[in-house]
Amino acid sequence: MRILLILISLTFITAVKADEIYNLIKIPNLDIYKIETKNKIRYLNTNNDFRIGLEKNITCSRTNSTNLNKKFLLIEKNLNNYSSGFLKKNNIKYLVMCENLFISNINTGGIPDTKKRTLIIDINFNPKYFERMIHHEIFHMIQKSNPKFFDEQKWSLLNKKDFEYAKCSTCSDRLNLDLYKKTEGFLTEYSKSIPSEDMAEVFSFLMIDKALVEDKSNDDMILKNKINFIKSSLSKVDASFKF
Amino acid sequence: MIKQVKASLSEKVLLIFLILLILITFGSYFLLKDKCLFVKNIDPNKIYFTNTDNIAIMNVECGNVIIELDPITSPNSVQRFKTLIKNGSYDGSTFYRVIKNTLIQAGDIEYGNINDLNYTKIGTGKSGLGLLKSELSDEFQFKKGSVAFARKDDFDTEDSQFFITLKDIPIYQGEYTPLGKVIYGMDALEKIKSGNKSAYVLRPDYINYFKLLD
Repeated sequence: MRILLILISLTFITAVKADEIYNLIKIPNLDIYKIETKNKIRYLNTNNDFRIGLEKNITCSRTNSTNLNKKFLLIEKNLNNYSSGFLKKNNIKYLVMCENLFISNINTGGIPDTKKRTLIIDINFNPKYFERMIHHEIFHMIQKSNPKFFDEQKWSLLNKKDFEYAKCSTCSDRLNLDLYKKTEGFLTEYSKSIPSEDMAEVFSFLMIDKALVEDKSNDDMILKNKINFIKSSLSKVDASFKF
Repeated sequence: MIKQVKASLSEKVLLIFLILLILITFGSYFLLKDKCLFVKNIDPNKIYFTNTDNIAIMNVECGNVIIELDPITSPNSVQRFKTLIKNGSYDGSTFYRVIKNTLIQAGDIEYGNINDLNYTKIGTGKSGLGLLKSELSDEFQFKKGSVAFARKDDFDTEDSQFFITLKDIPIYQGEYTPLGKVIYGMDALEKIKSGNKSAYVLRPDYINYFKLLD
């Protein structure tokens, strides 16, 4: 009886999803967009909506080719700031491009997965922050790959004693991504959510407009220390890395 | 008195057509049953190899498959592969995982042998020789006929299972440890049985024997 059940279950397993890309990163409905790249990052396109995660709580839709071709230029331009060695050290190999990315019904710009060396990017993310979002998400992969260099407790000590981060990034209303005029230790409202988001915000602004952020830090000692923390930690990850 | 009625021309044509149809139907049935009918069996003794050190012969239902191993790219992995070939570990190993027109996978020594097939555990078996470190190459191109060690999701988990690509799969470059390339006998591999709805195959085809040329 047991053997019969096994045979039946093997026979009726639903359609084969085991295509070659799925084999590698366990995301269905992808095809190659560009894999011959200088820094060896592989760009993948979403050709049909997918739903992934243990509870199938991550969803994203297929791309429109005109939209993708336009956004890809921005994505590649920003990714080209990283060398292949740096990307390898930080477990970044696949970049999945899709539209309208949601995690547990919350819209998000990107989802990093260092285990699968994959970053999923929503190409419909707010254009105002799109390029910075890419670096923000890359920072999360850097941090996950090197947690000892990006200690969140040490980071938190850089803030004023009376400041407290939220319990999690999505359980606070500190979501605005606009740069503060008066920083007071934080570049954006979202920086105040949790330490890793604060670090990612500093990193992403350094990648996009280093001069502006450094200029702001001249009048903000906390921010200056945070910038130095990020720079110093990154040099431990890869001595050749430069903003 | 019974009057003899002659068949008209159209009736004769119809009769001939029906006879031909029956012949074709039965003929096709017997011809199609032999899946290896149009597969040319390669005789390794009739091939001149410039270097015989790294030639392996895998015999499957439709004939021989000649593989040239690549110890320069993956020295430790090819050494392991040769060890398993030499001691006959792959003889009877089933192609339990087949993605049609994409790849075939065999080499589960513990649970994937045709003589002792364990459907509940197939794909998880070990060789007993321990895990190997991945030997990845940015140079080896995964063209049709590439042979490589399979692994779990993590690197450095190669053991004995291997796969052969049935088409170019460029995205595998730098992802799997290459072992070599099929130089003859792709036809025989393309006839390996695949599952209808799953990558896992019931009553799979298997390797009759696997040996090194020398």
